[in-house]
Amino acid sequence: MGDYHSHGGGRGHGCCPTMDLMRSEPMQLVQIIIPIESAHLTVSYLGDLGLLQFKDLNADKSPFQRTYANQIKRCGEMARKLRFFGEQMTKADISPSAMPVTRTHIDLDDLEVKLGELEAELIEVNSNGEKLQRTFNELLEYKLVLQKAGEFFYSAQGHATAQQREIEAHQVGDGSLDSPLLLEQEMLADPSKQVKLGFVSGLVPKEKAMAFERILFRATRGNMFLKQVAIDDPVTDPVSGEKVGKNVFVVFYSGERAKTKILKICEAFGANRYPFTEDVGKQMQMIDEVSWKISELKTTIDVGLIHRDSILKNIGYQFEQWNHLVRREKSIYHTLNMLSLDVTKKCLVAEGWSPVFATSQVQDALQRATYDSNSQVGSIFQVLHTNESPPTYFQTNKFTSAFQEIVDAYGVAKYQEANPGVYTIITFPFLFAVMFGDWGHGICLLLTTLYFIIREKKLSSQKLGDIMEMTFGGRYVIMMMAIFSIYTGLIYNEFFSVPFELFGKSAYACRDSSCRDATTEGLIKVRPAYPFGVDPKWHGTRSELPFLNSLKMKMSILLGVAQMNLGIVLSYFNAKFFRNNLNIWYQFVPQLIFLNSLFGYLSLLIIVKWCTGSKADLYHVMIYMFLSPTDDLGENQLFPGQKTLQLVLLLLALISVPWMLFPKPILLKKQHQERHQGQSYTMLQSTEEMLELDHGHSSHGHGNEEFEFSEVFVHQLIHTIEFVLGAVSNTASYLRLWALSLAHSELSSVFYEKVLLLAWGFNNIIILIIGFIVFIFATVGVLLVMETLSAFLHALRLHWVEFQNKFYEGDGYKFSPFSFALLAEDED
Amino acid sequence: MGFLVTTLIFFLAGVVASLSVRLCCNGGPSINLLRFTLVVTATVCCWMMWAIVYLAQLKPLIVPILSEGE
Repeated sequence: MGDYHSHGGGRGHGCCPTMDLMRSEPMQLVQIIIPIESAHLTVSYLGDLGLLQFKDLNADKSPFQRTYANQIKRCGEMARKLRFFGEQMTKADISPSAMPVTRTHIDLDDLEVKLGELEAELIEVNSNGEKLQRTFNELLEYKLVLQKAGEFFYSAQGHATAQQREIEAHQVGDGSLDSPLLLEQEMLADPSKQVKLGFVSGLVPKEKAMAFERILFRATRGNMFLKQVAIDDPVTDPVSGEKVGKNVFVVFYSGERAKTKILKICEAFGANRYPFTEDVGKQMQMIDEVSWKISELKTTIDVGLIHRDSILKNIGYQFEQWNHLVRREKSIYHTLNMLSLDVTKKCLVAEGWSPVFATSQVQDALQRATYDSNSQVGSIFQVLHTNESPPTYFQTNKFTSAFQEIVDAYGVAKYQEANPGVYTIITFPFLFAVMFGDWGHGICLLLTTLYFIIREKKLSSQKLGDIMEMTFGGRYVIMMMAIFSIYTGLIYNEFFSVPFELFGKSAYACRDSSCRDATTEGLIKVRPAYPFGVDPKWHGTRSELPFLNSLKMKMSILLGVAQMNLGIVLSYFNAKFFRNNLNIWYQFVPQLIFLNSLFGYLSLLIIVKWCTGSKADLYHVMIYMFLSPTDDLGENQLFPGQKTLQLVLLLLALISVPWMLFPKPILLKKQHQERHQGQSYTMLQSTEEMLELDHGHSSHGHGNEEFEFSEVFVHQLIHTIEFVLGAVSNTASYLRLWALSLAHSELSSVFYEKVLLLAWGFNNIIILIIGFIVFIFATVGVLLVMETLSAFLHALRLHWVEFQNKFYEGDGYKFSPFSFALLAEDED
Repeated sequence: MGFLVTTLIFFLAGVVASLSVRLCCNGGPSINLLRFTLVVTATVCCWMMWAIVYLAQLKPLIVPILSEGE
């Protein structure tokens, strides 16, 4: 069948027993044929199961051409109504309470009708409420006008009348061209006649009061009298609904034209006008009436609000459930849209990826759906064979998922290649700890993360901020980091930079009892080496840095070479799994030889130098191994036979480079030629297969096997150069373990000595407290937050680049099944 | 305590840890293998760290020279 594979694309089997999480779960492409009547229920049950990733079989159709576009529109409408309800609830400060309602099955059509009704009711209640509120505000303003205007009305009227008489007397005297506007008035002839003045009363906003007065004056050419009184408290404007400071005004005018002008100006300024009676008796009556109306309206409005709140509360009980239902239905219809309609229009065809272990569960869900929907025909489930690359699926739990996400952030593993996540669970926190090593800080980190872990259940259902969310998600990673930090802190012997003699006496002591030359010649080693970690006597000495630097640099090289070798060994396991012998003999072996003959040898020299205590200069040894390998080693001799060994290793390294470069492309070409000798037979088989599959799966392996030798050779050349140069640069890159560890211990020691000890030296309790607080803030801010992030980042880089480029391809895609549980996470 | 003795202690600690993980949470061969791998990796890492620091101090080339006023 499809057993001839292009190199590296085959289904392999493990040489070793299977390990969880090491390789992706075996996936299969399945095809399900569903009768239409049970389609909705089937998809719903499959969504509950969450182990099937549907392929979009209608990719060429626009969203409007698809079968269930109407249903999705309906769901969208319902979602809009639910959003409206949500907004109304927030405005009214009602939060949706999850009343423990029994999971009654709500029909979508019923829900749609109900939502429509509720929306109409709510809109009506709201608009009624607004109208009532406006009337209420107007009445309040009216009452103010009645009260305030009553106070100054009569005096103002008197003023206005006197003013008008003056103007008329002036006119009669002049008889000039600029006659006043008020020609209609009869009082020209008879100045003693009663002046008939009209007036307008109302409220005007305070900020516009001056402009209002000025414009009135200009428009009526001064033939008006305006009296304004300010109101102390802001009044709710009926139109805008906001509280504005207003003035009560009364304008006296004469004549119709003036009246129209004044009315227009009032409208323009948003001044609300209210009638005012001159009759005193009537005024009191009006005030009483208005007060009564106000109190009545208040009760009506309150009742209306209570009614609205009760509607919203009722909605609130079922809000979450409805939301959930609508989202679920929408996703089901989206999925149904991905299925293709069979020619007979009686069934839908679904294709998707599913893990092999889930076969029985999927079939079970299909059976249940058939039974529950009372369908005559059951769904057909069959496995398709294809050369398409399946998605990658790792079954992770809450502990391993964080580490897997770290690996996936760089690149999702190709289907069934070795997952670096397995080792990352341990090596990532370990490398972090090498850079962070302080058991005091480690304990602080551990306590913080234990808090998160203990309150896990409660915190996971809450909505946390962005940063908190990330910290909470990585709580197990941080816990591992903290535990390893405590260990490396004990090894570096640093507790907030203070060493302790926890594991026995220090190995160093003064030369003689007077300790005269302790500061010039130094101490001597009187006991065997300190059994666990760095000797406590080193801290604070002048020769501390030379010693620790040398130790940490060599440690970084040793750890780095170890991790890179692990990476190369993983590439061997990958090659074994995919049955790729070429990769084993012409890639894995020369790579291993090259790395170890150079840097493995360096590691060996480091260990030998430590064990023998020789004074050999390792830089010198390594450099002259290349420059003049046949020269005598002299005092750089660490063990007998070193020169010969170096020559042998140099030769091995030199031949491993062409070993990596040439054989593989040549052999690939040969393989390709062999495979396509019986070309005609191959084509026949493949066309038969292509007829079996329904829709044209983009069959990679069958037709388009063009072999470009130059392309393959260049690819191999790049790979070789990358490895060879990378061997040097990656090893040097591991020196960041030394650099960050040095930075951390120096910072920690500075904060301890220059803050805490300094404050202690003053012997003053206040300065001590201040110093302590500064120490705490500096430790938390710089060391616990910044250094943690920094070491996290660098450990991450070491994994993503130096470790993974030895074996990881990472060009797969993640398995994202259709699942209601994941849907809920997405929405939030 | 000697290099070899402590190495033996680390080895025994690793054995004890993997046995206890197996006894307390037994889940099936593939999960057990994963947990065993993790325990072994952790033991090897911790041992390497200790061994490096120990070997570096076996036959030191420099000694602590105290600073003034200590």
